[in-house]
Amino acid sequence: MTMTDLPMPRVGPLQEATPKPMRLILNWGRRYSLWVFNFGLACCAIEFIAASMARHDFIRLGVIPFAPGPRQADLMVVSGTVTDKMAPAVRRLYDQMPEPKYVISFGACSNSGGPYWDSYCVTKGVDQLIPVDVYVPGCPPRPEALLQGILLLQQRIASEQPASRSLRKKSYADRRAAAAVLSRPFVSAQDRERLAGAPSESDVSRGTSDASRGTGDVSRGTGDVSRGSTDVSGEA
Amino acid sequence: MARQEKESRGLVPGLLSGMATTARTAFRPTHTRQYPDVAPDLPPRSRGVIALLADNCTSCMLCARECPDWCIYIDSHKETIPPASEGGRPRQQNVLDRFAIDFSLCMYCGICIEVCPFDALFWSPEFEYAETDIRDLLHEKERLGEWMATVPPPAAFEPGALEEVVVDEPATEEDATQPPEATR
Repeated sequence: MTMTDLPMPRVGPLQEATPKPMRLILNWGRRYSLWVFNFGLACCAIEFIAASMARHDFIRLGVIPFAPGPRQADLMVVSGTVTDKMAPAVRRLYDQMPEPKYVISFGACSNSGGPYWDSYCVTKGVDQLIPVDVYVPGCPPRPEALLQGILLLQQRIASEQPASRSLRKKSYADRRAAAAVLSRPFVSAQDRERLAGAPSESDVSRGTSDASRGTGDVSRGTGDVSRGSTDVSGEA
Repeated sequence: MARQEKESRGLVPGLLSGMATTARTAFRPTHTRQYPDVAPDLPPRSRGVIALLADNCTSCMLCARECPDWCIYIDSHKETIPPASEGGRPRQQNVLDRFAIDFSLCMYCGICIEVCPFDALFWSPEFEYAETDIRDLLHEKERLGEWMATVPPPAAFEPGALEEVVVDEPATEEDATQPPEATR
């Protein structure tokens, strides 16, 4: 809890009130300077790299693959199988990107889980975690398919209708997800009730809740340290 | 080691050879493909999208059952055809109601195309069907049928192949324009 939690820079409500010529210029700038951040998780990332190299060269389209990290990126390309283990990291890095931000889901795995949709540990599509603007189909897609997805995204930016904008405003902006929200437990709550003997499980759950309340007390105690150490000792 | 090599070759020859390489590359034409302006030259048998020739489909469900991803959806019903002549027997026929492939799930293995006993599925090299809504990646029968126009003709026979090709029916003009139907 010592981590400083700075708010991410947002575009803010003034964007809606921007006059139309200004918005046109803004969108023109945005669509041709998409600093891309490659979330390469599997073999589709190879095709992404092929698209960034000399033969296909998506810098021609204004996609710049030199973003040092998510905080400097505008576009995230999720290419590859998103596992449940990786899901908190995907969401965390998406949350770190500044507005306006766009997401391309590249390949069958990140679209819907792909060949691994039946696996216990695979997220069934990255759109369960973050809003996606363009879905590129393929297993893996050709580099040209990524270029076409980029063109489609640029059209959407120019016409000011990215698919995720309303979605993002509703449920993603300024709502940063903690890792615990996104990671599934090994045994879900219903299964836990269904599987084992109820008394022992309820004991366990009560124990964890007690523990969490205990930590809460401790943190409050450390907050009271300035008033005097006697409070803390009294609680302990 | 590196220092010894540098001493042996010297600084100036190294610089010169580097500049020669740069000059050679600078005057070579670039090999960047100008994709949105120029159509890409795709390799033969390129696997872009799966096209459906609905007339050939008997809704036998082989493709849906062999699909490793289970991304093919087929609905059909049976219709009774009245006898063609007097005193004949009425026959039953499968009618395809729905044929859909979920391209957000498809792994492009081509098993459905290989197992199809009546040549109703074909590879098409088209790849430009990215969508902004994932539900649009579920291509229904009509959209799969539209891809048929982009299916390339089958490859020519190899030079040493047998000249006598077993074809039951003589090829007509219609068959020549639509090669996939010729082997029906």
